[in-house]
Parts: sequence; structure tokens; C-alpha cells
Amino acid sequence: MLFLQLLANGLQVGAIYALTAAGFSLIFGSTKIFHFAHGATFAIAAYLFHFALTGLGLHWTFAVAVSATSAVVFGVLLDRFMYAPIQRHEGSFFTVFVASFGIGIVVQNLLGSVFGRGFMSVPTPLSNSVEVIPGLYLSPLNGLAILCAIACFAALHFFLTRTFTGKGLRALSENPELVRTFGLSPRRLSTYAFALGSLLVVPGAIFTAAGTGINPAVGHHVMLISLAATIVGGIGSLRGAACAGLLIGVAENLAMWKLGTQWSEAITFAILFFFIIFKPSGFFGRATVS
Amino acid sequence: MTAYILNLLVLISVYAILSTTLNFIIGYAGIFSLAHAVFFGIGGYTAALVAMHVTPEFFVAVPVAMAAAAVTSLLLALPALRVRGEYFVAASLGLQVLAVTLFSEWKSFTGGLGGVIGIPAVEMFGYPVYKPWQFLLMSLICLTIIIVIIRTLVHTSFGRSLKAIRDSESAALASGKNITVIKTLSVVLSSALAAVAGALYAFYMSFINVESFMLDTSVLVMAMVIIGGTATILGPLLGAALLMLMPSALTYLTFLPQTEIGSIQQIVYGMAMVLLMIFRPGGIVSSHPGGSK
Repeated sequence: MLFLQLLANGLQVGAIYALTAAGFSLIFGSTKIFHFAHGATFAIAAYLFHFALTGLGLHWTFAVAVSATSAVVFGVLLDRFMYAPIQRHEGSFFTVFVASFGIGIVVQNLLGSVFGRGFMSVPTPLSNSVEVIPGLYLSPLNGLAILCAIACFAALHFFLTRTFTGKGLRALSENPELVRTFGLSPRRLSTYAFALGSLLVVPGAIFTAAGTGINPAVGHHVMLISLAATIVGGIGSLRGAACAGLLIGVAENLAMWKLGTQWSEAITFAILFFFIIFKPSGFFGRATVS
Repeated sequence: MTAYILNLLVLISVYAILSTTLNFIIGYAGIFSLAHAVFFGIGGYTAALVAMHVTPEFFVAVPVAMAAAAVTSLLLALPALRVRGEYFVAASLGLQVLAVTLFSEWKSFTGGLGGVIGIPAVEMFGYPVYKPWQFLLMSLICLTIIIVIIRTLVHTSFGRSLKAIRDSESAALASGKNITVIKTLSVVLSSALAAVAGALYAFYMSFINVESFMLDTSVLVMAMVIIGGTATILGPLLGAALLMLMPSALTYLTFLPQTEIGSIQQIVYGMAMVLLMIFRPGGIVSSHPGGSK
């Protein structure tokens, strides 16, 4: 029964990881920006959801809107005022990474100073667990997170394959020069990538805030997971990032069956190490050994 | 007051060793590692164990600590250096996270969360070194030796090969450089020298635990290198001094809430990293005036 319980938790966590990793992978794949501050977006979305719901006492639909708006605005602002100036004069991987990392540190500490460093969670009627079969406790949140992830992926797939902007984003990841020749602006497409990628963290942020709870370091943790999932899944492959996110979520939880909770992050990185050594291109990626 | 200043100076020189050795791989080899605190930690724990169970002799404990860090770094370097830069960042992050779990779980080696207590005073040729000024002298000598080693290396053919790899890996490969060997050697060397800092730290504090070797430390050392200036000798020293003095300087600003000093420090250096990358990617002491690499 413990096994089923852990599997159910793992699927919920995995669905959240899959969405966040897909956001990171979308940004990294199309703009080649190593957006380490993606975790900061997650933390901001989660904290503002919490603040809007319990601090301001808004209805949950407004709280979701606040959270989504803040994530998108934060992502787009970073793209416009941090990444764009850096890319204009240099834009090496290293420079972008350091700046992104710096903003992550700033956000984590600002959130800690404003909202406190402890764990916070939003109690909702949906988070109450019921015993479905003896020994297996499920809350409506479990199912909702998984359904929401499926819906988001369906919408994302539709957007990327059917709409003009979506096709433009995929073209940008293939060949930015050709995109420019075709008369599209890579700069504008990059903004779309950031808006969309940042929007994808919102469901995860909300479910985490309502479920296991958040602390200022949550962004860091989420970032590590997204990074691992992106590499395990193959850089530039959304499908890969999603599968890998799910795999890591399940593996992390099943690890608790035999090992203590303190090993869950170690398990993620054992998986990552294994892939870097034996299959650096990931599930669906192209060969990347240079 | 003298004790306070001596204490700060010892810590600055320990961190200057860390930032100088990290700069060797970031600045000259273009290898971006987020696991420097791991080798700092391995150096510290190994030196502490040798001092407690074998001998507190500096010239025994430090070489053993260096060897331990060098072997561990091979484990990271061999698989991870075969792949592109982004992957190495991820792999080193992974090693850092794994190492923190190991440091806090492997109780016989690290004492778990409680740490290692009662590390004896270090001896040099049988003479115990325990007064703060003696210690400061010892760390400054270590720092100087390490700077000389790195400076010399950078100006040899090995250093030129490193810079060639940093600037264009395919060009270096085409001119017959064995990239994997050169990169691995530089990581091993940098980690072994970082272990010296770990050993000094362990002897100085006479108590160490996992708190000193977490991701935060790796990030702090990385910030020192970047803010000071990569690929320069002076930059990492300046960075170490600035970031170590900042918390003490902030305590003098009495209008700041004292409980938030740690956060404010991190916010300041996070912001400094962002602004420097936008306006002056080479750091304060930039080896290439005008910004671009």
C-alpha cells in the first residue's frame, strides 16, 4: 500500500516537474538562454498566489490570475532588461548564466525577507486527503494536478504545431538567422518564449503552494529539477523534458520506499549523472557531445 | 579588536585560496564548476581526520587532503568533461547536492550534522601553530605559494593550451591538443589546491560541519571570482576581500535590521553579479577593458 501511496504522490509531483521543466526547455531550446532564474519565477508565482489568497483574501480565480500575471511579467521583464542587453554585446553562455543565477539569489532573499523563511502552505478544501482504499490516501489535488498537466501539454502542443507564433518559436530553435531572413523578429519571438515558458510554471507553483507547501528556497529546488529533467529528456525536446520530469518525480518518491527522505534529491542527481555519462543526448535529444 | 581583525584576515586568505583556485578553471579553462565547496569540504574533513587519528603534522595532513580531493575530482571530471559546458554546470551542481547529502549522512567520516569536534592544533615540523598571527602567516604563505603556482602554470604551454580550449575548443582540437586530458588535469589541480583551503579552515576553526560546505559556499566563491574579475590574478583576491568584509561593514549600518544581514549580503552580491554581467562582464579587475571576452 505504501508503494501505491508513493506512486500516487510521485505522479502528482512528476506532473508539476514536467510542466516546469517544459517551460525551461521551451525557453532554452528556442532562445538558447540558460534561464536559471526560471526557479525564481516559480517562487514568485507561488508566493503571490499565497499572498493574494490569504493576505488579500481574494477569490481563488483572482489569486490564480495574480500569480499568472506576475510570472509572465517577471519572465518578460528579465528577457527585456537583463538578457537582451547582455546578448547585444556578448551573450556567451557563461555571462548569461551568471546574471541569471544572480537574479535567482536576489529573488530568493527578497522573498525570504518579505514573507519569512519558514514553510507556508495554502489550506484549501481540495487538499484534504480521503482514504480511498485502506492505506491509500488521495486528495482531489492529486488528480487535479495530473489533469491540469495533461491539459497544459495538449494546449502547448496545439500552440506549437498549429499557430503562426508557435511555428515561429520552433523555427527559432532551429535557425535564428533564417527566422530573421524570413522577416520575423527573433527578439519578439524570444519575448513570446519567455511569456509562455513562465506561464507554464504557474500550475506547478499553485499546486505546490496548496499541497506540500513553499519556502523561499523552493525556486532553487525546482530549478535543479528542471535542469536535470531538461538534460535527461534531451535539450530542446519538450516531450523529453516532460517525460523526464515525470520520471524524476516518481523516482524521487519511490526512493522513500527504501531510503529516507533526505535521499530524494540525491536520487535525482544520480539519474542525471547516469544520463550525462551514458547518454548525454537524453531521451529524445540530438547528439550533443562536442 | 586585534583578534577580530586577525580572524577576518585569516578567513579572507582561506577564501582567497578558494577563489584563486576556482578562477583557474573558470577564468583560464572556461570550465564552470558549482562544486568547489565539495573539494573545500573533502580537504577539511580529511585533514581533520588525519590530525585526530594519525598526526597533526601540516606536511602530512595537507598532502593527504589534497590527494583525497584530487581523486574525488577525477570522478567528476572524467565523465562530465566529455560534454558541453551546460552539462558540466549541471553535473557539478549534482555533485554538490549529492556531496551535501553524503556529508550529512556518512557519520563515521564527517560526524553527520554535528560535525567534527576537537581538531587538534596543527604542527609544523613538530611546532604547534595556534596563535592567530601564526595562523595568519601560515595561510598567507599558502596563498602566496598557490598564486605563484597558478601564475607560473598560466604562462607555460599548459596555460596557453587551456586558454586556447576556452576560446575555441574545435580550434584547439584541430591543432592537436588533447582536450580531455588538459581539462581533467586543470580540474584535478584546482580541486587539490582547494583542499589546502579546507585543511587550513579545519585547523583554524578546530570544528567543522556540513554547513560550511553547502551550495551557498560554492555560490559565494563563484561570486568572488566573478565580481573580482575572471582570468586575472588580482580579481579573485579583491573579490574575496570585498565579499568577506561586506557582512562586517553592513553591521555598521545600524539602520538595517540586524537579523536580515545575511539576506542583504546575498541580495547585494546577486545584484552585483547581474549588473556586472550587463555592463562589465570581465569583473571589477577586467583583463579585457571594454567588456567583451
